[in-house]
Amino acid sequence: MEYWKDQHEPITAFLKLFEKAKEDPELSEGLKKVNQLIWFDYTEDGSDCSFHVDCRNGQVVAKQGKPSEEPDLIMSLSADDAHRSWSNKLNPVMAITRKKIRVKGSATGLLKLAPKLKKVALIYEQALNELNFLDKILK
Amino acid sequence: MYGNTGEILLVDLSSETLERKKVPEEYYHNYIGGAGLAARLFWDWGDFKAQPLDPGSLLIFMNGPFAGIRLSGCSRGSVAGRSPLTGHWGDSSCGGHFAPELRFAGFDGIVIRGQSHRPCAIVIEPENLRILPADEWWGLGVFETTSRIRAKFGKRAKSLAIGQAGENLVDYACIVNDNHHAFGRAGYGAVMGSKRLKAIIVKSFEQNYHAADPEGLDQLRRSIDLKIRESVTSQVLHENGTAANLEGGVHTGDVPIKNFRSSFWEEMAEALTGSTLSEKYLKNKAACAFCKIACKRVVEINEGPFAIPKGPGPEYETIAAFGSMLGSMDLAATCKAGRLCNDYGMDTITAGSTIAWAMEAFEKSALTLEDTNGLPLKWGDMKTVVDILLPQIAFRNGKLGGLLSLGSHKASLQINKGSGEYLTTSKGLEAPMHDPRGGGHGLALTYSISHRGACHTANPMLFMEMGACYYPEIGFEYELEPMSEENKAESALLAVQLGAIENSSCYCQFADREITIPEWVDLFNFSAGYNWTIENMMSAGLRVFYLQRLLNFRFGLTADDDSISMRLLEPAVDGAPEGVPVEFDSMKKRFYQLARLDEIKGIPDRATLDSLGMSVEASYVWN
Ligand code: SF4
Repeated sequence: MEYWKDQHEPITAFLKLFEKAKEDPELSEGLKKVNQLIWFDYTEDGSDCSFHVDCRNGQVVAKQGKPSEEPDLIMSLSADDAHRSWSNKLNPVMAITRKKIRVKGSATGLLKLAPKLKKVALIYEQALNELNFLDKILK
Repeated sequence: MYGNTGEILLVDLSSETLERKKVPEEYYHNYIGGAGLAARLFWDWGDFKAQPLDPGSLLIFMNGPFAGIRLSGCSRGSVAGRSPLTGHWGDSSCGGHFAPELRFAGFDGIVIRGQSHRPCAIVIEPENLRILPADEWWGLGVFETTSRIRAKFGKRAKSLAIGQAGENLVDYACIVNDNHHAFGRAGYGAVMGSKRLKAIIVKSFEQNYHAADPEGLDQLRRSIDLKIRESVTSQVLHENGTAANLEGGVHTGDVPIKNFRSSFWEEMAEALTGSTLSEKYLKNKAACAFCKIACKRVVEINEGPFAIPKGPGPEYETIAAFGSMLGSMDLAATCKAGRLCNDYGMDTITAGSTIAWAMEAFEKSALTLEDTNGLPLKWGDMKTVVDILLPQIAFRNGKLGGLLSLGSHKASLQINKGSGEYLTTSKGLEAPMHDPRGGGHGLALTYSISHRGACHTANPMLFMEMGACYYPEIGFEYELEPMSEENKAESALLAVQLGAIENSSCYCQFADREITIPEWVDLFNFSAGYNWTIENMMSAGLRVFYLQRLLNFRFGLTADDDSISMRLLEPAVDGAPEGVPVEFDSMKKRFYQLARLDEIKGIPDRATLDSLGMSVEASYVWN
């Protein structure tokens, strides 16, 4: 991995991102509209390297690991590409075209989030700052 | 011959004759089929002096070599000829079910000339080719015509029909298959109307497709179909139709608002996007022949001023053309406007854009109440659009209906008063609902160099700038920044070849993104036996692109016509593209160098034509 020293670091950063996103009214609303159980699967970088977000029923809950229920959507990619993606440095359409991101299930909900990626990147930068992951911030 | 049947039906409506005609085999190898082969046949048989609505004009329907293969997206068809809207060479593509049925009936295409002395229909059944009187259908809309055709010929018969707009020679009348699928652009419905040809009906008995390598083709089509079915794009299109990403498009500045004057309107984005259409009005999904994506919508609106019965629903272009473009976020109104256009047989892009142009002209006093017969034209007034303007246009009623039936370009030449500034066209064709300033600066270039005028389906530039294309075998493996000129000319040179291949093989651009370059070559070889390499295939694409330019040159177009309305180039005033200039001139200059186009004539130099085996064609334009 280019950006992470172990498989736990990225999950810490991404869970922090969602914790902060929940506090932002616009992003929190956007996430609720997604209305899906999503598994972000980075297990190519380690068996514990994944987390899931449950945006169903008007809530947003992010936890480490694979969800116990069948997810509506699985996004499989490397933890490095996930970092680029949350930093808005990876064109998701291109990443899917080149199979860097593999999608299984309904991606319709995610389209609702696409317009908010710039804002997500800002909040991700704040999250990295708070975690003192300053060297990981992509400029 | 494999894949193709090698035969077209030549119809002369003046003498009421129908004749089977062989097409030289090398034409398929050199010009592929569809739009490319149509251009070639016009080059040989067309009358360059005939105006689009003259009896001597040719109307050419042409299949690609894949029509009839059980593979998603590969059974579209082309129509081509001199366009009544633009006055020069053009073509238009249509999905639906007509093309494979024509192939199964034994023909790759139909070439029609002449003018019938009375309304008529062409009927194609194996061993029973005929021209029938169609007086009883004349005056009917597409829906009623199609239902009468089905009553007479059975539900399995596939038809192309025009509505009142085609009969009344509206310059952007379209041709509609089975109520739902249209040869939308450039006005070929008016050419049918001028020939008094109300419909074409085709019915085959067996679904045969003679592939060069049936086993190879079968394996390949299964694996491509699986990829298409499983792709994210297909799944999104299936769920929410072609407007699935309208909301995202508003945020990137791709969706035009109020005649391309604004690039951002957040409330509208959610109101008009594909998922809202699904939630509010979707009843069923529908598909073109053999397509597993099924991006087409069937909608119903039970109440309100725009209530419509269950039937064909709008695609993205229609939603934007009758929504954001007109300053409206009334989704029901876009459904109703789209339905009316299908029934009258009118292109929704040109209709919406022409009305948007008129609204701006009225706002700025270039059109007055005197011109509109006392009717104020106001942004967002969809009652007026649906109840008054669309019927007036389709029937060319009154001064305003007559003016708007010309399309925005000719209408602006008629009224002048600075109204040319409100145009959003290239070569007389209204731009589709993708704003190059936000959607991608390369689009400004490819709209301007497209043979038919501003068009996003002439080539895959839109998808290339979006990041949805990856073709390392031909050198397209770099990322494009949409709002920049970097690498756009280089990409456009690949795009025009790929676009010619897509439109000549009549493959749907939503479906074929999953097909790799080596798979394209295999598809041609396994189906039609072209025995191509990648280089041969790309050369065929380039040959088609050049031939279309040569046709336009013979119609009087030059390099100066590779231009685009200022409205689409001036820096946007809001949204993501705000203030970003489009470096159009430098992109065009670079493209001209790369494509070896003459700076004055706009056609390739003689040596380039010679290298593609087009020396004879070169002699027509270089002496
Ligand atoms: S993707 Fe849509 S337009 Fe294309 S062939 Fe399939 S149903 Fe037709």
